[in-house]
Amino acid sequence: MATRDELWSRGRLLEQRLSYGEAMHTAGGIVATDTPDPALLSACDAAMTELRKCVLPDVRMRLVATATLGGVTQTIIVTQGAHSIVTTPALLLEDMPLLNAGVGADGQAASRRLPILWKHGSAAVLLHEAVGHPLEHERSSTLPPWLIADIPLAPRRATFRDIPLLRMQHVHARAHNAPFTLPGSRIEITLVDAGHYEPLTDVVTLHVGIAHLVDGSHRAPLAPFTFEARRDDIVFLGAIGETLRYPGVICSREGQELVVPAHAPLVLTELA
Amino acid sequence: MIYRKQGRSVRWENGVVVHVSESGIAVEEGEWFRCEPAPHAASGQLLAAPRGEGLGVRGIAVERLILTEGEAHHQYGDRQWTEHTRRMHLAMTRGPLRVLVDRADFDFTQARAIAAVLAKAELTERAAPPRLRLAPNITAALLPHLAGLAPPNVRLVQTAGGVDGYGNDIVEAVNDWPNFYRPSYRTRPVRMPHNLRLECSVREIDRDRPIAVALLAPVDGLVLRVLVDDGTRAFPATVRVTRIDAVADEREWYPYAAGSFGAEMML
Repeated sequence: MATRDELWSRGRLLEQRLSYGEAMHTAGGIVATDTPDPALLSACDAAMTELRKCVLPDVRMRLVATATLGGVTQTIIVTQGAHSIVTTPALLLEDMPLLNAGVGADGQAASRRLPILWKHGSAAVLLHEAVGHPLEHERSSTLPPWLIADIPLAPRRATFRDIPLLRMQHVHARAHNAPFTLPGSRIEITLVDAGHYEPLTDVVTLHVGIAHLVDGSHRAPLAPFTFEARRDDIVFLGAIGETLRYPGVICSREGQELVVPAHAPLVLTELA
Repeated sequence: MIYRKQGRSVRWENGVVVHVSESGIAVEEGEWFRCEPAPHAASGQLLAAPRGEGLGVRGIAVERLILTEGEAHHQYGDRQWTEHTRRMHLAMTRGPLRVLVDRADFDFTQARAIAAVLAKAELTERAAPPRLRLAPNITAALLPHLAGLAPPNVRLVQTAGGVDGYGNDIVEAVNDWPNFYRPSYRTRPVRMPHNLRLECSVREIDRDRPIAVALLAPVDGLVLRVLVDDGTRAFPATVRVTRIDAVADEREWYPYAAGSFGAEMML
């Protein structure tokens, strides 16, 4: 594995990290050394050269290029204010407007009792925490039969120094015949800053970064808020539309950060 | 100047042993930081792996146990130094409760004592006793959060000894924190207090007070979620540190932030 990781702020390069190594699985355990693989290093360098062409002048960006025997990945994390998106060179310009949607929105406090419309694929973050992490802990799904979440697990590691753990490869949700009537008063979620699943209490916590309160024809920004609920208390009311790619799940478990692609349709929920 | 580090470690992580050998360099030029692996001659010898078995306490689950032993050789300019470290991270659970144990050795005595309290604990939260002792493993985790706060009655001090991330001597200090922390060659050094200790003019501890024996969550500012043992009952409670009445003299070093000396404390 070879990884280049760069931090850029307002078009200036601040930090550059190169890491490479191999892990041999032996009878006595894993033996990890920083031995370079020239082919992987070269592929990693080429991927970073391409990533650098994406640097934008007014934001903070982290570029990560990783080459393994399984292929090359390119990840761009763009941070503006308190919010971030996770994207790729091909999708950067398409995703940036989402980040801009709520910058500077001070907004009002969210009501816990209102139904929530998860827009722009953000329901995939909810499903990541409420279905994916429980699966990693061998807990069953609590989804209704019309909402299908494809969440394959596979051994994954963040660096050659790490132990592979059974982790999500992606979250890809789709719905069958689950239309809903849009409630007049609702919360619409655009961007989720962070999430957590606590296996001891079965509680899902999401820190919502960009959201709006919709009341009839009136639409007002909400202040960032925390969505916290036991899995059993999250009621899925319906899902419609195309499956949408959500730009931004970096999942951290046991200190290992991994990108987990996330896709979901428009989903409506409420709390029991 | 170039910082060089060469090291090896062995980690026992939930039953899997991982040997890591690596070396690298880090360069800082103004605001720019760069690091990368550097070729080295590996010794070929592996460190003996610690083993985490045998902590069994009835009714308690070991959710996570990581034992790490490492040795590292550092060079910055013409300064060279060597470190040998041990770290234990343990999370034990019962019902909805999770206790956290972090130590700089592989001594399970404290963990077993905490497990015994956890085994008899009520599972629902109670109000924290108005008068409470905090065990040294809790105060050590709290001390880095006191930096810059100047709580009344106490004095937060960086303890002299050892070297920092640039190879400079760690000196006695009470503010401005002159030393830099570099936990890895991949991390840009940051100015922060090392080996903190808390001094208080009152050192006598009232042993009749209930005691918080372990953290139930990482410290959040001055808020501690702890496991309390009042002698007859044990229960989870949330404590907000507002006033420190006494701090004992006897101290033990814990690997929180850039190091912290825990001492029994009375609130």
